[in-house]
Amino acid sequence: MTQFPDLTTFSLEAVLTILGMAAVTYGMRLGGLLMADRLPQHGRWAHVLERLPGAVLISVWVPSALSAGVIGIAGAAATVVTMALARNLFAAMAVGMVLVGIGRYFIGI
Amino acid sequence: MSRPGPAQIGHFDPDTIRRGAIACLPLLPSTIIFGAVLGVLASQRGLSLGELLFMSLTVFAGSAQFVSVDLWRETIPAATIIIATAVINMRYILIGASLRPVFRGRPLWVKVCGMHMVADENWAVTMTQPNLANPGFLLGGGIFLGVVWATGNIAGYLLGGGIPDPEVYALDFAFTAVFAALTIGMWKGKVDLLPWVAAAIGSIIGHYTLPGTWSILAGAGAGVVTAALTWRPDMDDDSLEAEFAVEGRDAYGAPEGTVNTGNTGNRATLSPEAGK
Repeated sequence: MTQFPDLTTFSLEAVLTILGMAAVTYGMRLGGLLMADRLPQHGRWAHVLERLPGAVLISVWVPSALSAGVIGIAGAAATVVTMALARNLFAAMAVGMVLVGIGRYFIGI
Repeated sequence: MSRPGPAQIGHFDPDTIRRGAIACLPLLPSTIIFGAVLGVLASQRGLSLGELLFMSLTVFAGSAQFVSVDLWRETIPAATIIIATAVINMRYILIGASLRPVFRGRPLWVKVCGMHMVADENWAVTMTQPNLANPGFLLGGGIFLGVVWATGNIAGYLLGGGIPDPEVYALDFAFTAVFAALTIGMWKGKVDLLPWVAAAIGSIIGHYTLPGTWSILAGAGAGVVTAALTWRPDMDDDSLEAEFAVEGRDAYGAPEGTVNTGNTGNRATLSPEAGK
């Protein structure tokens, strides 16, 4: 490790590794879209594709709420309820985060 | 903008880009802090700041970058890092697929340019927009998050320690909260119920039985299979509604039956493009 912040060194291996990471990531982003373009626009596949964003989103946050423990589950529930009632993203996030912050600070859960 | 005619909104309209950026504003504090945490980690692992920024702007995927930087050593385990990145980012295949309505009818170059700056956050925000499902909106959010993310990286790298612990202010929970809240906006009706329940159960089972981010794929897979199994031909009405979404108008969350009014003529103009 260098003494001073190392700002501008670009080692060949680092650049190649990063380009490899970028290539697989971008390839999957664009590839997913182009594959979906080839699926039928109606019927079963279209129906499945429409359900996909919700399914992905739920699968992203449900496990992370579980990882945050009891307070995480409570915070996620409070966020969902606030959003359903107020339809305001900022308010919903604030309610969940404040609840989690308070829970961690005062109760330690 | 206020009254879109039959012609599509531009591919990357400046006003739409700006709206997309503003829509991601609630994510600023947590994105900058996590960017800073990554900056600190990178300085400890021996990446230069330039290399880190290069990674943040070319890979642009938070969780994969954390794992990769954590694996980074003097002799870089390139294959391990690239494979880990591929596994963690596999959800982008699904995310890319779900963006089909946002890019429908757009030329290939728009897809090529628009798909790079796609993170979970601006994707989720875009998918829940009632009127702006448009590549410019998606890109605006991506550019905003990219700038904030890189700014956080720089701050963390240069400051070293001294940055607040995200857990203290529940900033780590911001990502959970934004995704949980946006789920509400994706609700399109009863047809979503079973796939969503399946996704939740699948991801919970995956969380306890699988390593890392495989739970996302387990949940999404369960949701997709359930959606495929519960489909009936009479549900096609619903997909017709989604066809109009395509034009960047009443896409997501439009109340049933409100979308079709007066738009019936557009279907004919859309169909030839769909074949591309």
